[in-house]
Amino acid sequence: MNFAALAIALPFVAAALLGLVGTPRQGAIGNAVASLALFGLTLAVFWGHSEGLVAVDPLAALFGTVTGFVGLTAALVNIGYVSVDAARMPARRWRLYHTLFQIVLGASLLGLYADNIGVLWAAMEGGTIAMTFGVSLYRTPTGLEAAWKYFILGGVGIGLALFGTMLVYLAAQPALGPGFAAMSFRALSVHAAHMDGKLLTLAFVFILFGYGTKAALVPLHGWLPDAYAEGPAPLTTALSGLLINVALLAILRFRHLLVANPDAMRPGPFLLSLGLASLFLAAFSFSRRRDARRFFGFSSIEQSGISAFAFGIGGPAAIFGGLLHMVLHTLLKSGLFLALIRAASLRGPAAPGNYGFSHLRGLLQANRKIGWLLAGCIFALTGLPPSGLFASEFIIISQTIQKNPYMSLPLGLGLLLCAVAILRNVGPLLFATAPHEKPKPAGRSVWLIAAHLALVFLVAFAMPLPLVHLLSHAAEALQ
Amino acid sequence: MSLTFSLAHLLGGIILLCAFLQLSQRRLAAMITLYQAEALVLSAAAFWQGFAQHEINLYLTGIITFALKAVLLPWGLREIVLRFNMVRAVETALPMAVSMILGLALIGIAVLVVLPTTMSSISLTREDLAIALSVVLLGLLLMIVRRNALAQIIGFLSMENGLVLAAIGMPGMPFVAEFSVALLVLLAFLVVGVFLLRIREHFDTLDLSGLEKIERRGR
Repeated sequence: MNFAALAIALPFVAAALLGLVGTPRQGAIGNAVASLALFGLTLAVFWGHSEGLVAVDPLAALFGTVTGFVGLTAALVNIGYVSVDAARMPARRWRLYHTLFQIVLGASLLGLYADNIGVLWAAMEGGTIAMTFGVSLYRTPTGLEAAWKYFILGGVGIGLALFGTMLVYLAAQPALGPGFAAMSFRALSVHAAHMDGKLLTLAFVFILFGYGTKAALVPLHGWLPDAYAEGPAPLTTALSGLLINVALLAILRFRHLLVANPDAMRPGPFLLSLGLASLFLAAFSFSRRRDARRFFGFSSIEQSGISAFAFGIGGPAAIFGGLLHMVLHTLLKSGLFLALIRAASLRGPAAPGNYGFSHLRGLLQANRKIGWLLAGCIFALTGLPPSGLFASEFIIISQTIQKNPYMSLPLGLGLLLCAVAILRNVGPLLFATAPHEKPKPAGRSVWLIAAHLALVFLVAFAMPLPLVHLLSHAAEALQ
Repeated sequence: MSLTFSLAHLLGGIILLCAFLQLSQRRLAAMITLYQAEALVLSAAAFWQGFAQHEINLYLTGIITFALKAVLLPWGLREIVLRFNMVRAVETALPMAVSMILGLALIGIAVLVVLPTTMSSISLTREDLAIALSVVLLGLLLMIVRRNALAQIIGFLSMENGLVLAAIGMPGMPFVAEFSVALLVLLAFLVVGVFLLRIREHFDTLDLSGLEKIERRGR
């Protein structure tokens, strides 16, 4: 059965329903139910069969499941978020909010599952428009500024990506001729060697800068920290990592076409330089960030840069590391943001502006469980053992030393700087004294956050054998 | 066959000229008129390509372009200009002459990049692609050198025209791309319309140089 088409259709149907009826609370519950069904469908995709414009390979199915899981947990935490925050917006805008939630999920899945490069592009475009609305939802001046930035930068990126997509089609003409075959990833990767190499290189530059904008690679990252910090937290922060994954996977797949073509330029140096630039920009931007969501937005730029760097190193093992890093980081980061939302709502409404480090400090006094879980997530983000990210970063570094030893120095330095900058925040966040505060209940969502954290640990250090096979086959095919 | 080439190149050239002239205009009304002319020629180019390639899809693209970009969008933009009383001159971030020199340089880069890389392609696509890339880059430049939100949007729309010009020149490209471009313009207009209203609500101006609160607050 074609579960992939169902999994793509479900969020859009749910989006239409959630947009038309319901109070905020009903909307949040409906949203959670739809996300639960979606998670089931993304699991079923592994056993389904699909052909044509949407043809799922195991790698896409894996990332689809991660998307479904993140969507589900975010939707569950969202119920609590909405019940606290319901008065901030009129009911109609809450409906729009839940619609956007589902559209972002649907667009991410469409982008992951798409075999046609035109459909992939359309999915990215839809996701961008939905996110723009999401960021501007609270109508605050800073929110509008962030949304405008997102719209202009995202729009330009989308435009460049479309130009690149068309150039890929043109480059495929000698091998595949006019028609749909020249836009299908499967056909393209089989015939990559016979494509027009020079044109493919030009196309990749546009694709890299187009989708690189969506993957927040430096120097195209400007929208990300603001967009993370301004919109409703479950939508613009917990879910935004999903579109980054779609963009990174697209870059990886197009990169493979260049590698397989003898006339095309090597994509390595492009990706390595963008990746390192992201890593270092993040390392030096961590200081003086007062808002936690903006701070961890820069951390997303860092992680996206690490994956791009791994793809730049190339070879099956490095790409395995990069893909593993993407999976782990998506799980960890959305867990961290869920913890952050809970932590902020211990101190009043979890609206934008209430995520300052000074506002959150001394969390252990408010609630021990959430404090420790948030600290665990932040620590895991540094990539120090026993964090799951240690496994993927270790693979990437050891591959770098083997293939391109000189590059391992800046990589190691960047990782170290980032880790130190992130760790500096843990102490005050946990142990500072907040005056006159009584402990508050943690709520049931702590289990979700703990599940995220445990999953990251398990996937990294006790990886199930089917997952190893899946990732290594995918990495070999895309090397 | 030679008529196909020369007419397609002529139409592409007029589009490029319109995109370039937008850089030199201080007034929004003139920019909108130029944009309208650009879109009009673009729809003619789409019809011509449809005729030359025997592609029914391209006629559809031409109709969409004409209806949305040459009629509906300029009307909406003029409406905004009138309603917000922005008939006066627009401010630029760079002097006019500098931006025009930059524009010329971008056209040169586009030609130098595209022509050598597409030696093996059909020459109809080749020159059209160079022109299309120039239009895209000029649109980006326009977005950079203007501070006014509306002028930035016109730059964005002009960039879209370049993308459509590239798409219609591709031999037998499936309709997916053209359709989504048309969709993008429509959605962009919706988004943009909403944004303009809200920016107006909050700041009483469309000059984006005042939009730097996050910057000042120190993030």
